[in-house]
Amino acid sequence: MRRRSFFQVAGATVAASTLVLAGCKDTEVVQPTTTNVLNLGSNDAGVLNYAYLLEQLEAAFYQKVLDTPPADMPKEELALFTELRDHEVIHREYLKELLGANAIPTVEFDFTSLTLTTRAGVLAAARTFEDLGVAAYNGAGKLFTSKAFLVAAGKIASVEARHAAFIHDLAQAPAFTGVVETSGRYTGMATALTPLQVIEAAVKFFPFTVITSGLPTA
Amino acid sequence: MNLFKIIAELEKVDPEVMDRLSHRRSALSALGDFSKKMALAAAPIAVGSAFNKAMGQNTLTDANGILNYALLLERLEYSFYDQALKAATLTGTLTGAARTAIETIRAHELAHVNLLTAALGSNAAPAPANGFDFGSAFATYPGFLTVAQALEDTGVRAYKGQAGNIPRTLNPTVGGAVVNLLTVALQIHSVEARHAAHIRYMRRGATAGAQSTIFPWINNADANGAPAVVYGAGNPVATFPAESNLAQGGISNLATGLGTTYTVEDVSAAFDEGLDNTTVTAIARATATF
Repeated sequence: MRRRSFFQVAGATVAASTLVLAGCKDTEVVQPTTTNVLNLGSNDAGVLNYAYLLEQLEAAFYQKVLDTPPADMPKEELALFTELRDHEVIHREYLKELLGANAIPTVEFDFTSLTLTTRAGVLAAARTFEDLGVAAYNGAGKLFTSKAFLVAAGKIASVEARHAAFIHDLAQAPAFTGVVETSGRYTGMATALTPLQVIEAAVKFFPFTVITSGLPTA
Repeated sequence: MNLFKIIAELEKVDPEVMDRLSHRRSALSALGDFSKKMALAAAPIAVGSAFNKAMGQNTLTDANGILNYALLLERLEYSFYDQALKAATLTGTLTGAARTAIETIRAHELAHVNLLTAALGSNAAPAPANGFDFGSAFATYPGFLTVAQALEDTGVRAYKGQAGNIPRTLNPTVGGAVVNLLTVALQIHSVEARHAAHIRYMRRGATAGAQSTIFPWINNADANGAPAVVYGAGNPVATFPAESNLAQGGISNLATGLGTTYTVEDVSAAFDEGLDNTTVTAIARATATF
């Protein structure tokens, strides 16, 4: 009996039982092959790992700022940065849980290229991370074959956009400059980037090589 | 335990499984047990009953229907900002950087209208014959921003609610170029979210009453003076929970289900929720006569 017709005959409960047990078998474990290589993997798990890596990056950044805040950053802003940090940590831990055994390991980042001793430097860096995150989610949506993961990513994407807009406001930067097209075919659209473009833009923060070759491209 | 694998497999049978699992308490606790490698035998029954539930009641199924729905919302938003910028009641308060921001947002909404109209071609629905009447929405600056927040947050929920209905391989030719419709929808979605956050930030300003309890993100289902329905649950509630939702991806309560305890404010704020087109349209009709 073919699998599909089996489901139709046997009903969902039995089918679920079969699938859940199948789900316990792990065939897509993604681990770095050497200490300096991080392979994101393939298919939907690969795209989720890509999001997981970016959430790790954002959470680590905010944590670093809160650990040693710049002297000229008011405490009201630090309180709001604490909320940003918590949102990113929740995203990170949620994606890790979703990925289960498919998750890439927890990684550490290189923030030495950033100026985190001044408020201006912190806001500039935060803007980079948040704008990049939004563009990454915008570009990643179509890569998911699973509607459930697309919707899950969409729930996070708009929160990243809220963060990004907030950082622009704190920096007193024009709210939408540089992230919403003002001319051409995509006027009024926000930036969307491919995983390759995003990893390239963030490469200086990765003290390892990120392998994206397994990720879907369309 | 491998939630990813389980959900991916279940979804082959039931595309809505993620939504259903998130909001069915029985299935949730069952999946929670998985994570502790417990109750493996009993769980599939609960999961099975969860995804036997009726499908969602979003009434939009084809791309043109979704695009025309988006077009109506964008026309409404454009008209709202256009009327605000021309309202005599706001000339004294909607000034400087605030006016510039609203002008920019109006330009974005117009661009969205133009793009959707181009994508629909001859299938584009006509604009409402008598335009949009927003009643007393422009009487005061704080009142205007309250309605703006409601419209932008509704817009974010509307696009999110349809994202899963747009085929990811739909690449129509718009203005002579091939575009991926899902990506375009996500790009507009994030612009609406930036608008929403900026409007919320404006409400924290002195001219708007220094409302420091309003954040760029949505804590719980706090409406901040906007209609509560904007942040409430849609239909069906399992697919479109309220913004205060704490259940995601088969975990019944992220505040306690991720190994560390997080506040419900942070968890609810970390995820925005989609909304069905019926509820969104009702919100639109409660905001404007058209």
